[in-house]
Amino acid sequence: MAAPTMHRPTTATSSTQTITLAKGLNMGLRAAMERDPRVIVMGEDVGRLGGVFRITDGLQKDFGEQRVLDTPLAESGIIGTAIGLAIRGYRPVCEIQFDGFVFPGFDQLVSQLAKLHYRSQGKVKVPVVVRIPFGGGIGAVEHHSESPESYFAHTAGLKVVACSNPVDAYWMIQQAIATDDPVIFFEPKRRYWEKAELDPTARPEPLHTSRVLRRGSAATVACYGPMVRTCLDAAAAGAEDGIDLEVIDLRTLSPLDLGPVFESVRHTGRLVMVSEAPSESSIAAEVAARVQQECFYSLEAPVLRVTGFDTPYPPSKLEEEFLPDLDRVLHAVDRALAW
Amino acid sequence: MLTSELRPGGRETAPTRLDDDDLELLLLIRHFERNLLDLFSAGKLNGTTHTCIGQEYVPVALARLLDDRDYVFSNHRGHGHYLSRFRDPAGLLAEIMGRDGAVCHGVGGSQHIFRERFLSTGVQGESLPVAVGVALHLKRHEPGALAAVFVGDGTWGEGSVYEALNMARLWQVPLLVVVEHNEIAQSTPTTLQMAGTIAARAAAFGVEHRRVESADVNAIRGLVAPAVERVRQANRPLVLEFATTRIGPHSKGDDTRTEEELRSVRARDWYLAYQKVFPDQFARLDTRQREAIERITRDVDARTPSRWEGSCPGQSES
Repeated sequence: MAAPTMHRPTTATSSTQTITLAKGLNMGLRAAMERDPRVIVMGEDVGRLGGVFRITDGLQKDFGEQRVLDTPLAESGIIGTAIGLAIRGYRPVCEIQFDGFVFPGFDQLVSQLAKLHYRSQGKVKVPVVVRIPFGGGIGAVEHHSESPESYFAHTAGLKVVACSNPVDAYWMIQQAIATDDPVIFFEPKRRYWEKAELDPTARPEPLHTSRVLRRGSAATVACYGPMVRTCLDAAAAGAEDGIDLEVIDLRTLSPLDLGPVFESVRHTGRLVMVSEAPSESSIAAEVAARVQQECFYSLEAPVLRVTGFDTPYPPSKLEEEFLPDLDRVLHAVDRALAW
Repeated sequence: MLTSELRPGGRETAPTRLDDDDLELLLLIRHFERNLLDLFSAGKLNGTTHTCIGQEYVPVALARLLDDRDYVFSNHRGHGHYLSRFRDPAGLLAEIMGRDGAVCHGVGGSQHIFRERFLSTGVQGESLPVAVGVALHLKRHEPGALAAVFVGDGTWGEGSVYEALNMARLWQVPLLVVVEHNEIAQSTPTTLQMAGTIAARAAAFGVEHRRVESADVNAIRGLVAPAVERVRQANRPLVLEFATTRIGPHSKGDDTRTEEELRSVRARDWYLAYQKVFPDQFARLDTRQREAIERITRDVDARTPSRWEGSCPGQSES
């Protein structure tokens, strides 16, 4: 579970506090529930327990069982009932316990959630948020470590985002809940306990925007979710060797916001796209295709992908081999530079 | 007792006299569906469709037990459900033909209709959890209203049915599951696709179940009205199973039943039974509805193609 919130007065503003990513989500959910009585939270063990990762900790106690519902083990039932509640005016936030557990709810996501707005020519809004902890790195197993985001980005009618840090977690969950369209909200579970300073009085950037996290001129590294930390670490290590990397957190996977990536690649001439998901038909593949289309004359090297492998997620003792790490990212950068 | 069989007025009993309104609705649906099959044969329709010939009386009987506050979730065989609620054959036909005046601007077609509190979708069982969510909201904010879902016997092979029944009973929501048990799932007889019974499955969740053998609209209403009222007043989910008969094919030319089986099925048609007992009323209204559908078809066919006219408001987010 997340470390307790530490309230630290800082020089910036007295409201700034150090939070974990898990706490950022918890605070964001709480703020959304306080702001709008239509927001309800539902899922397996989200009430009394506060969720397996304690993201919903304390919400049932403070908002009651009518607004924080412990459900049966039934993902199709959870997402389906959330759709029913949403078309009547609620704004449900469903928690899927682990990435690999979303598949029993796939039919509801793809055939109902994604399509009702379209089928009703925009008359019906289905503002459901489906929160999914995703990715590996916690020593878990298949079904608990997967990166299924491409399935959802592939479906018209769903918005897909991935937060990478505590501050974005706090803002993005609130922005997702306030969105009238369905949002699949990916949370990098291995980063739940990382910390950052949050100023809750700041103004967040719009939800569907990517962000340049580090300026550099040697090559562009695009990433999202759990790989953002990995890529920032790689950039720091590269800098020691005199390789100046530009790092972009995509944040939004559908729709993609690739303007900053195009701009960056026109400047650097090289792109390494990093993701934990298997490479075939992936977000990384989509980014590569669009960058070669938009930046063809700027590219000094092919777009390279650093991804998980096209295999089922391996047993935990092998996951270090599966997950892209600092060395694999830098190796790809070297290949791009040597082209 | 959670399950019981409601037999009075069963198929062996002569039909009672319906008022003109009920009989007209039954015949409207019958001629609407026959007409669709004719239009397919004539090459006037694309894609596919599923007709409810033989099952018309189920939604007609329920129509007067449901009101405007209620939600209706329909399925792939949903024309009768829609017509019973809205009596809008022109809008539905335009939807299926892709003509001006289509109820969903031609986007939904035969299987995906949305209108006010009526939604249909073709994937088996997927409306059940959605209906549970709607029912939970109705219970909290519009007590007395219910969510009705039409399913078939084949639908009971889908897991979402059981997730929804479990949640409906746990959360005590006003959910009415209407089962049109026509003994055949597309082409597979129920005996080959269902172990046990629907009654026992409902009972396993502590959900009340009633099985209705009758095809008589008056008799059905009298039998099921108290149970439907309990769904509203006590927020108790109910499975209402109708032993019914699909006389037409699943879609068009895909009926694998033998001629003998089809004869037996046709012999149970309410249409013939009613015609026999009340020939004068039947002849008058049957002609009227057949001609009405012919007229509507000519009118709709002559219209311009449907166009997407719905506004698509901007996405809002903070």
